[in-house]
Parts: sequence; structure tokens; C-alpha cells
Amino acid sequence: MHISEGVLSGQIMAAGGVLAIAGTAIGLKNIDYDKIVNIAILSSAFFVASLIHVNIGPSSVHLILNGIVGILLGWAAFPAILVALLLQVVFFQYGGLTPLGVNTVIMAVPAIFVYYVFSPFIWKSYKITFTASFFAGAFSVFFSAILLGSALYLTEKNFLEVTILILGAHLPVIIIEGIITGFCVTFFKKVYPEILPNLQKLE
Amino acid sequence: MVDKKNIIKLKNISFSYPDSYQKGPSLNGTDVKVLNDLSFELNANDKIGMIAPNGSGKTTLLHIIMGLCQPDCGVVELFGEKLTKEKEFALYRPKIGLMFQDSDDQLFNPYVIDDIAFGPLNLGFSQKEALIIAREILSDLGIEDLENSIVHKLSGGQKRLVALATVLAMKPEALLLDEPTAGLDMEVKTRIEGILKNLDIAFLVVAHDFNFLKSISSRIISMTEGKVLMDDQIHIHQHEHIHKYGHDPHTHV
Amino acid sequence: MIENEELAFKDSLIHKINPCIRILLAVLLSFWVALSTDFKFISGCFVLAFVFVFLASITPNDIFKRLKPLFVFLLMIWILLPLTFEGDMVFTVFSFDISRQGIEYCAMITIKSITIILFFMSFVATMTIGVMGHAMQKLNVPQKFVFLLLMTYRYIFVIGEEYQKLFRAAKIRGFVSKTNIHSYKTYAYLAGMLFVRASMRAKRVHQAMICRGFNGQFHTIDKFSLDKLSIIFFIIVLLFMTIYQWLIVKVLIF
Repeated sequence: MHISEGVLSGQIMAAGGVLAIAGTAIGLKNIDYDKIVNIAILSSAFFVASLIHVNIGPSSVHLILNGIVGILLGWAAFPAILVALLLQVVFFQYGGLTPLGVNTVIMAVPAIFVYYVFSPFIWKSYKITFTASFFAGAFSVFFSAILLGSALYLTEKNFLEVTILILGAHLPVIIIEGIITGFCVTFFKKVYPEILPNLQKLE
Repeated sequence: MVDKKNIIKLKNISFSYPDSYQKGPSLNGTDVKVLNDLSFELNANDKIGMIAPNGSGKTTLLHIIMGLCQPDCGVVELFGEKLTKEKEFALYRPKIGLMFQDSDDQLFNPYVIDDIAFGPLNLGFSQKEALIIAREILSDLGIEDLENSIVHKLSGGQKRLVALATVLAMKPEALLLDEPTAGLDMEVKTRIEGILKNLDIAFLVVAHDFNFLKSISSRIISMTEGKVLMDDQIHIHQHEHIHKYGHDPHTHV
Repeated sequence: MIENEELAFKDSLIHKINPCIRILLAVLLSFWVALSTDFKFISGCFVLAFVFVFLASITPNDIFKRLKPLFVFLLMIWILLPLTFEGDMVFTVFSFDISRQGIEYCAMITIKSITIILFFMSFVATMTIGVMGHAMQKLNVPQKFVFLLLMTYRYIFVIGEEYQKLFRAAKIRGFVSKTNIHSYKTYAYLAGMLFVRASMRAKRVHQAMICRGFNGQFHTIDKFSLDKLSIIFFIIVLLFMTIYQWLIVKVLIF
């Protein structure tokens, strides 16, 4: 989910840039170099996982997974997502340099939201874990699509139809992300629970 | 170098993984002791090879020596000092070079030269000195052409040699190598064999390859049930393998 | 699956320019174009971008490959915007009104986006991320962030390989990707496995760093120095841009 070069207005780019820098600064402030290793390698995994394409009918979509990144990293999702997006710009020219701030905000703000709202439910029963992480995955993509649409709409009011189209096109993606995030977080809990946050607090 | 200088001394070490998911849940429901009342010594000039089955706790043993995990009980002594706290270990770690099983764990920099200079820079050498040390090591190992290579483009064998270089760049007084030849072809294996034979520091090499260990070390030990077996305890030893001289008459040690 | 940074290993005038200067130029020129609303100015930059691409010896093939994702987006707006944009009607197709403003807006976005991506390709895609990280550090980007970037870059390749192995193993056991829960579950476990392995690897990498005397301070080797060629190139490009814009705005009102 990217906004391309040359679309956004100066104000939106500036707002996105400022928010992205602030979020990244908060994300990096509380972590020392020892933890950065963990964030960096999880960020690599996020980059690779977001290249996975899954089928929907005759077409396919790539995974977004910002919900999972939010649950795993909390505020550190901001720098992790910024780095992953920057690498996508350099490797594939997805998105771009000037909308990088906005694109980071689009992905990272829902990730952090999901971290606060849904991760407390992870340590309940498996059913609740699955349901909470389903909504975490689905909602983070939905929220991202809304933010993307708003950035376009605020740039140019005539983008309204494009925005609606984008939201519509993301409906199946929202469901798929929910299912994938649900299974994925349940998998973490079964196989390697220490990857999930708050383990120490609860024990 | 002073003979018989004690570098590593482990006394009555026991260790079991606290979190069952790290090594998988134990079969009978009790904590499996990975190391059980283990004692071990490495003195200056010792060249020790260790051969033991998978899961016998070799890697754990190396991590205990480096203070990467804390034993449940027992004493770790490095260079004659009894160590327990992370801070104490941090002082002595650079003097012992541990090479990890997977070179990708060790080489985290994009470029070879940065990775080799990482250790010396941590030790407080200046940029210039670190570069000189790094280049020296590269040419000692005969891989000076890799200086500006990108790590992820190297072959498995090249990565292993670079990983060895990163450890040697610390100028350690002892080396711990965790399966340095696993998954390598004959050529790189021979190369590593040559490098280790020419080293004048003590080492403990863990490997599955008996012939390799035989050629580089002065004695071979093993591990079983969480304890180290000295060479006089190792008995006639059977192994099966495939090699290209299988049809020709050959001897096994 | 993952790009091999092939543009970085060419040899050209641009490749000889100091990476810090190249990053600065890419950022400055990109925002300059992105913020401009003057069609003539942007068209001039469009031509200039091709000059840079030529100087960086990037082939048309490379360009096309990298512009593909952009083209998909451009196609969408070319279909939608002329229909939905409010403004003067130029003509009508199947009772849909095509607006002049819509077409102009699409043209503007098309030229802008291609120009900026070409700037980026010539200046930044022509260096490896390893070099980019060091250059960013020299440009006073916080070291923690640079460290994060370089490490993420390094392990993308390791984890990419792990994914290939996992996926191959699934395929060998008869996995075919379809639109059903089983497929999604499989992909979820594959992705989950990547994160789990990444987390376990992070632990080992950290241990390996500690073993080499890492104590929370990160030191790197300085690489490139500022040469005359780079400074001259930087000044020429910026002078050209400034004069060109001044000419368009103040002197020649075409």
C-alpha cells in the first residue's frame, strides 16, 4: 500500500514527514543497540514476508502485515516500517522518496494503534487470541487504507472516486490480512511465545 | 608464551534450559540437564578437538564458557579469574574468540571489511589501526581479495573464512570453533585445516569430522550425558561416511 | 525474489560522484520537482532526468523494469481522473464527460513521478545500501537509524533464502496456492516461521556481537572523502536548476 511519487501536495508531504520523523524518534528513543538487533532482523522478516503473494480468485495480492509488526514491536514499528519502506524504494522503486514520510505514517500509525488495542487479548484463550489478532490484522489494513485515502483526498478533492475505489479494492485484502494475522499470532503463541510482548509482565 | 597457563577452567557445571520451548519440550516431562556436573580445562598451547553427537550440549558448553548463558551451578574461570557477572565476562570475552556455527549470525555488516574491523574498533583501536589489523588478517588467511566484497554475495566457504577472520582480528589468546567445517567442500575444509595448524594459540574445535579433528588437534575429547570424556575414556570408534576414495584401499585412524 | 542492486555495479560519471553528494542531490531535486506546480519547469526537469540516467549508464531496460509499478498506478489515474475531475468538458465518451483539468492533472502527475523516480534511480539506486548507510551517517542521520537500516538490509538476504527453502519444502509436499483457508493458513505459518527464525537469529547475532567486544557503542570505518569532481558536479547541477527556474518564472513567460 503505497502512494507514488508526484501525487501528494506539499502540505501533506510535510505533515507526513514530520509525523514519520517524530514517530521514528519515539520508536528509537527507548531502545538501545542491544534491542536494535532484534528490531532490525524482525524488520528484515517483515520486508521478506510482505513480498509473499497470496491468491484471491484469479488474481493475487501481496501481504501487508503491519498488524503483526505492530503487535511484535509496539512503537518500534515506526522505525522498522520506515526502514522497510526505504529499502523497497531503493530496491524496487515502490512508493518513493518524497511520499516516504506519508507512506510510513499510513502503515505505522495503524500498527501502533493495533498494539495498544489488541495485544492485551493475546494472552487469553486461543479462541480470543485468534479473534483479537484477526481484528488486529484486518483493522490495521482498513485503517491504513483510510489514511491513504485521506492523504489523497486532502491533496486534491477530485481524488474522491479514486479513494473510494482504493478502499473497495482493499476489502478482500482486509479479510485475508485478518485471517493470516490470526493464524500467525496463534502460531507464535504455540511455537515461540517469547516473541510476543508482555510475556514477562504476565508471568 | 608461558606453558601450562590456564585459560579456561570449568568446574562442576550443570545447566538445563529454563524455557522448554528453546530446545523443545522434554519427552518425559522433566527438565533435561544439558550439562551435568561437567568439568573441563583449556591451557595455553592446548589444541583440543571435540567430537560428539548432535544435541549433546557442545554449543551450550561454548556459550557457558563465553558467559552467554549462566550455569545453574558450578564455576567458570577464565585466565584464572572466577567469573559470574556479565560485566566480568565482558572484560575477558575479547581474549577468547568464539566462531559461531552459522556464519550469517556472525557477519552482520554489509561489507567484509567493516565486519572484520568491528572487533578491533570495539577494543578501542583507531580507525586507521583497525583497518591495518583487518587487512593483515585478510592477507594472513589469503582472502585479501574479499576486502570490499558484499557479505551476502559470498559463498558458504568464503563466509566461513571471513567469520574466522573476524574472530582472529580480535587477537584472541584462545579460539573456540563451533563446527567450523560443517557443510563445506573439501577445498575450504583443507584451507581451514591449514589455517588452524599454523595457529600458535590454544583452541577447542567442535566438529563431526573425525579426520579433520585428528589432523589439527593434539587430543580429542567427547561429550556424553552432559559430561566431557577425556581421550583415554574414548574407545574404539566406528563411523560411516562417503568419500571419493571409497573404492581405493584406505585407512581410518 | 530480491533485487541484486545491479545498477550499483556499473561504472559511470555518476558512480564516481561522492555518495553523500548524490543523496543530497536526489533529495533536493526530488522535492524541488514534487513541490513545483509549473508544468514548463517540470517538463524541463523531465528532460534533465534523462540526461542523468544517461550519465549513470542506465539502460532503457532497467528503466522500464523499475517504472512498472508506477505505470500500474498511472494507468489507474488516467482511466479515472479525466472522468471524475470537475472542470471544462473537452469531449464525451459513451456519455462520460472528459475534463480538461483532469487530463492536465494526470499529465502533471505522470511527468512529475517519472522525473523523480529517474532522479532517484540515477543518484541513489546506483549505490549499494551499504554505501548509502555510510553516506547517511556522514550526513548526520542518527547512527541508531543507520545501524537499523544496514542490519535490516544485511538480513533480508538471509531471511529471503530461508523463505525460499520453507516454500520449496511446502511445495515438495504438494502445496498449491489456492483461494481457501488451507492456503492462507499455510502462508500464515510460513510468514510466522520467518518471524520466529528472525527472532531466534537476532538472539544469536547479538551474542556473536557481544563476543567480539560489543558494548552498546557502535563504531564504523569512515569511507569516502569529498573530492573536487563531486563538489563541482553538485554546484553545476544546483546552479543549472536555479537559473533554469529563474528564467522560466521571471524572464520568459512563454
